[in-house]
Amino acid sequence: MSFVESAPASPAGRSATAEVQRSETELRPAAVRSSARLPVTTLVIGLAVTLALALVSHSQYTRNEKRLLKLRVRDAGALVTASVPSVETPLASAAELADATNGNIAKFKALVAPLATGAPRQFASISLWKLSALNAGPVAVVGSPPKLAASPSAAATFLARTARTPVLNVTGLLGAPDPRLGYAYATPGAASGYVVYAESPLPASRRSKLQSNSAFANLDYAIYLGPGQRPSQLLVTNLSRFPLPSPAVAETLGFGDNALTVAMSSRVPLAGSLPQRLPWIIAVLGVLLSIAAAVMTLRLTQRRRDAELLAGDLEVTASENRRLYAEQRGIAQTLQHALLPEVLPQIPGMEASAHYAAGERGVDIGGDWYDVLELGDSRLLLVVGDVSGRGLRAATTMASLRYAIRAYAAQNDPPEQILTKISHLVDVVDSGQLATVMCAVVDVDAHLITVTSAGHLPPLLISGGQGRYVETEIGVPIGVERGSSYTSTTISAPAGATFVAYTDGLVELRGETLDQGLARLREVATRGDHDLPELLRTLVSEMPRGSSEDDTAIVGVRWTS
Amino acid sequence: MDQLENQPDLLISFDVALDGDHHATVTIAGELDMTGVDPLAAKVQNAFDNGVTRLTVDVGGVRFADSSAIALWVRWASVVQEFELRDPPALLRRVILAMGLDDKLGVES
Repeated sequence: MSFVESAPASPAGRSATAEVQRSETELRPAAVRSSARLPVTTLVIGLAVTLALALVSHSQYTRNEKRLLKLRVRDAGALVTASVPSVETPLASAAELADATNGNIAKFKALVAPLATGAPRQFASISLWKLSALNAGPVAVVGSPPKLAASPSAAATFLARTARTPVLNVTGLLGAPDPRLGYAYATPGAASGYVVYAESPLPASRRSKLQSNSAFANLDYAIYLGPGQRPSQLLVTNLSRFPLPSPAVAETLGFGDNALTVAMSSRVPLAGSLPQRLPWIIAVLGVLLSIAAAVMTLRLTQRRRDAELLAGDLEVTASENRRLYAEQRGIAQTLQHALLPEVLPQIPGMEASAHYAAGERGVDIGGDWYDVLELGDSRLLLVVGDVSGRGLRAATTMASLRYAIRAYAAQNDPPEQILTKISHLVDVVDSGQLATVMCAVVDVDAHLITVTSAGHLPPLLISGGQGRYVETEIGVPIGVERGSSYTSTTISAPAGATFVAYTDGLVELRGETLDQGLARLREVATRGDHDLPELLRTLVSEMPRGSSEDDTAIVGVRWTS
Repeated sequence: MDQLENQPDLLISFDVALDGDHHATVTIAGELDMTGVDPLAAKVQNAFDNGVTRLTVDVGGVRFADSSAIALWVRWASVVQEFELRDPPALLRRVILAMGLDDKLGVES
């Protein structure tokens, strides 16, 4: 109760909790940011490329349209320029006639009458002026009176200028109503000096539609007198509202002594509708593709992030597993060593050593053990045993057998009796366990070894570079039957001999017979000249135990004299 | 129980056939170590619970058996009235002899 209440009240606990929450909320937007960065970049790049392509396409379209429009304007200008002779030629003829006939009015009128009165008439008014008396007005008029004559001084100035120039002179009389365009021509260098002047009418509204089947259908146009596009100088157009729709192209062309400015724009794309729509098509497709690419990138980014998170989790789990494995293995080995003797008794004339090697992968504690006891009278009892199976059950059986043997040995029981007595401690029917045990009484002074085996592998006696297995009568393992009896075998050992006992992990190899393993052990044991601890280590390290998960216990004694 | 039960991870297969008259034949093949012993023990215990008192264990296909496998056979030999270890390969016979279990398991030396 106090724990539950005091934990939230602790300021340290609260601040730690707050810290955790803050770091979590800080983590999340960062993760979102990093996962959104790539798709946003993709989208931005896609849109930028789309915009650039659309702009290029549009500017290409505009440039192309302008070029085509300019061609049409030139065509139109050529038409207009070509009309100059059709005006100039009849006026020049009339001027020459007047000069040649010294101003014969009847002949002049007869010549020009068809131009001003026919249908369609080319001119509204044609008049003949004498250069020496311009202020007196025209000497002859065909058609309506010339509008120019309304202002005698302006007329005199214009016509006098005409006499000095060898080309058709053009002037605009554009005031409403009845706007007109005036043309004047005088034969260059004629002494008598007459000027022929004609006026053609312009539409009062200045508006003239182009025929729909003409080469210029679908074009808007405006024609101005003189250079530039001053509204006051507008001659004719098809538009009611200005300015011309963009893009518009204007070109100024010579027209007699004056000039005409033709401005045009097109109502429909001159190169067809596809080039006009292309920028939009590019824009729409580009935006769609950019969005699709961004979405796909987002998905891939998220998938990769998920995979990375998963991989991270797996890595964490794996490292946790490794840690747990190492921990369990460490625990098992610690426990194993705790169940084995820490130090071996050393008595004069004899060296004793032991080694325990855990199996390749195991995390379980094993059932192998060794023991060395001092029996008195310069005798040692060597014990090696192996309880079948692994884990705590095997280890506890092992421990009980080991300590039971110590107890019976302490009361001076001989090995055969010890084994018979411990045969009551294990029953394979109850526990499923068997234990193989070998006891050897080593008489140091007498150089004798008495071996008793309960189903255990034969010990090895090494002397003078030769090794032999001690053949004994083998009794049943502990656990097969209660009260089983055992027989001992005594051998003598030469000075300097080494006696080694071991568990089956040392010689047991899958796919190989026991005799092959025993032969190899003897070969390795007699190979070099090692001191005892080194010999035991060498046996464990040089015997191939690759496929064996079994533990190995090995104990040895060596006469030092 | 006509087919051998495969235990792919354990490199072992086994089969328990009840032949009637309280007899069962256990056929084991492969490598039998402590990881494979428990399922096999449970299977045969089931046969004992069904009144089997005579057991034949065919080990002709066994390539490897560790001490826990041999302990299992010894246990079977102790609890049934008749026990036969059939066709033990030489490798297995050698181990049984080394453990002093030839009489118990009825293996000729």
